Amino acid sequence: MSDLDAYRSKAAAWLESMVPTYGKEARKGLSVEEDLAVARQYQRAKFDAGYAGINWPTEYGGQGLGHLEKVTFDSEEMKHGFPSFYFGISLGMPIPVLMQFGSDKEFVKERVLKALKGEEIWCQLFSEPSGGSDLAGLRTKAEADGNGWKINGQKIWTSWAQYSDYGVIVVRTDPNVPKHKGLTYFWVDMKAPGVTVRPIKLVGGDSHVNEVFFDDVKITDDHRMSPVGGGFAVAIATLMIERYVATDSAGFGPHLDLFVDLAKETELNGRPAIADGRIRQQIARNYAMRNGLQSITARAMAMMQAGMVPGPEGSLNKLVAVRSRQKLSELAIDLQGSGGFAYDHHASQKENWTSSWINAPTGRIAGGSDETLLNTIAEKILGLPQDHRPDKGVPFNQIPA
Amino acid sequence: MSILYDEGQQAIATESRRVLEARVNKDELLPLLEVTGKFHDGFWNTAKEQGWTALALPEAYGGLDLGLVELGLIAHQAGRSVSGAPFLTGSFGAAKAIELYGSDEQKAKYLPGLASGETIGAVAFASGSNALPVLPCVTLTDNRLDGTSTGVAGGLAADIAVVYANGPGMPVLAVADLSGVTRSAIDSFDNSRLYADLAFVRTPAETLVVGGAARDAALHVLALQAVIAAHEQTGGAEAMMEIARDYAVTRRAFGQVIGAFQSIKHRIAELYGFVELARANCIHAASREGHADFVTAAAAARISATEAYDTASRDCVQIHGGMGVTWELGLHLHTRRARSLAIEQGNLLFWEDVLVDRLTGEAA
Repeated sequence: MSDLDAYRSKAAAWLESMVPTYGKEARKGLSVEEDLAVARQYQRAKFDAGYAGINWPTEYGGQGLGHLEKVTFDSEEMKHGFPSFYFGISLGMPIPVLMQFGSDKEFVKERVLKALKGEEIWCQLFSEPSGGSDLAGLRTKAEADGNGWKINGQKIWTSWAQYSDYGVIVVRTDPNVPKHKGLTYFWVDMKAPGVTVRPIKLVGGDSHVNEVFFDDVKITDDHRMSPVGGGFAVAIATLMIERYVATDSAGFGPHLDLFVDLAKETELNGRPAIADGRIRQQIARNYAMRNGLQSITARAMAMMQAGMVPGPEGSLNKLVAVRSRQKLSELAIDLQGSGGFAYDHHASQKENWTSSWINAPTGRIAGGSDETLLNTIAEKILGLPQDHRPDKGVPFNQIPA
Repeated sequence: MSILYDEGQQAIATESRRVLEARVNKDELLPLLEVTGKFHDGFWNTAKEQGWTALALPEAYGGLDLGLVELGLIAHQAGRSVSGAPFLTGSFGAAKAIELYGSDEQKAKYLPGLASGETIGAVAFASGSNALPVLPCVTLTDNRLDGTSTGVAGGLAADIAVVYANGPGMPVLAVADLSGVTRSAIDSFDNSRLYADLAFVRTPAETLVVGGAARDAALHVLALQAVIAAHEQTGGAEAMMEIARDYAVTRRAFGQVIGAFQSIKHRIAELYGFVELARANCIHAASREGHADFVTAAAAARISATEAYDTASRDCVQIHGGMGVTWELGLHLHTRRARSLAIEQGNLLFWEDVLVDRLTGEAA
């Protein structure tokens, strides 16, 4: 058994032992607030067992291991539906950026430790009503105010902002230069006066994303994490941190086995749906697609193990998997005919086709839309030209609205 | 078997690419489309000279003892260059059937010739639209074959064929010398594949395997060939994607290169997805030979490679506009090959059923 296999089986056994306390069944019927309280205990248990900050430096309370161990643990953890998602953004991006760019090391250490233990949560304040994919077009501004800064504007789609203690934010500090050059990166106290968080209810019924308003929010200059005007580079670094993350060829929807089971137990034209060619074709095509994605992931893992850099094909996962999950979920609902109307907004999108279907569009938009991902593949991998961009090189305040 | 290519395997990929790019060009391939019975000697001589015919066969019979991974890499390149003969897959399938199911005597008789390339092999399993019928229309009685095998790839040039026959009342795999067999050439859309109907009349044949095991054996041989064909399809799809990309960054319209339009660049980015999924499935399938899930992995490879090649060929031509449909530009070499490879060794419908049967436990 390789070291990694040993690591995997030890992690799997530990996770298995956590299921009775923190698994889906144990948390059934809890309100979000109650669930978050349990989630904090789970995060603390991970910290105590050495499964928090797996690939982070030990000086910050991490385990000092590699990407491989991190991805291995995450893929095992994903199987059980533990409440790790409340901390996904916090530990995925803002905290690593804080470790990299935070200036006050003692402050940083304290924050990192509390975040790892689930005591504090950080959010990421990037998107705005005027643009999501066009990050550099943001309008929230920070103006010099004495020795510090004063922030005004609005952010949107901020995950878990309503439970966050701190956030990292990109704002415009100079509107007289082209859009990428006038941005600066800060951290903010989400409990500071002038910060207002308003949850947004999504189509699936949950409200994990928010609008966040900033009205004359004053911060000192030691909150700054980039040079003035150098915020875009740090924002991009944020997005590049987790290049190799645990993936799910089911697009974070139900496993294909569940579709096969449904087709076996559903009758179509007087015989099992599994005998119907249209259903069989979808099963076969989806299997081939998912198997391909899994093979890409397995190869990337093997390359990392061998000290090589995985190829860019890993970027296909989200694009291909979520899109096809959406279609397969539609077909699964179709299959149930008049039995397919029921909807339980507490149901898991990994187990319930209706929940998977109604939440699928979020997956195709959040964290890089399908169209943005296609542009990235075309431009970065295939060397195709950028789109026509009329705002290129134009001072931000002269771009036609 | 690792899913990472080692240095030797990478060298096979590089060297086969170098050789085929130097020796195969469209000016030699295009005329082959307009006649029956001709294949590209340059390709086949290269295959023999480079030892590709021997690659995946046992050392004891003149082979090089390598496997699906290595032959797959050659096939990928053959696909990129639109190889001018179907024997790489056909001879390999015939040889594997004899190696896995034949007697020592049969192996000694047939394998050295297949390994050197002096003998050309074909596989004749299909009956019309059925890639692997429950009971084939060709019969075997008293070690003699009667009936017609239809659409046999390489059939016009093959010296021997492994035939899936009704023996009688149960399936049987047999090997036959084709010297006395009447071959009717099929004038096809991809003539260098040498498709022929083989009419057997009291043709002497040697039995390899009989009964239920013969059907399993035939499916296994098809799966081995399917993995090679899938590599070839993936190579073809990759070539079409690259040709489309190269055209999109040079051709200009409306004041910019057409690759700057999202309708074009997204189309090519989607092709990248098809190609990489097919490649990943091919690498996986080649590494699963000898495992219980091999046929499942082969089916997945075949399905995604067929989708990739068809789509890449369709979209590459579309991106070229009018030039894409000219005889001279030669994109149709790939368009034709995408479809001929889609049918050989079982079409999409066949492999989809094989796969779903395995996933639902309807096939052991």
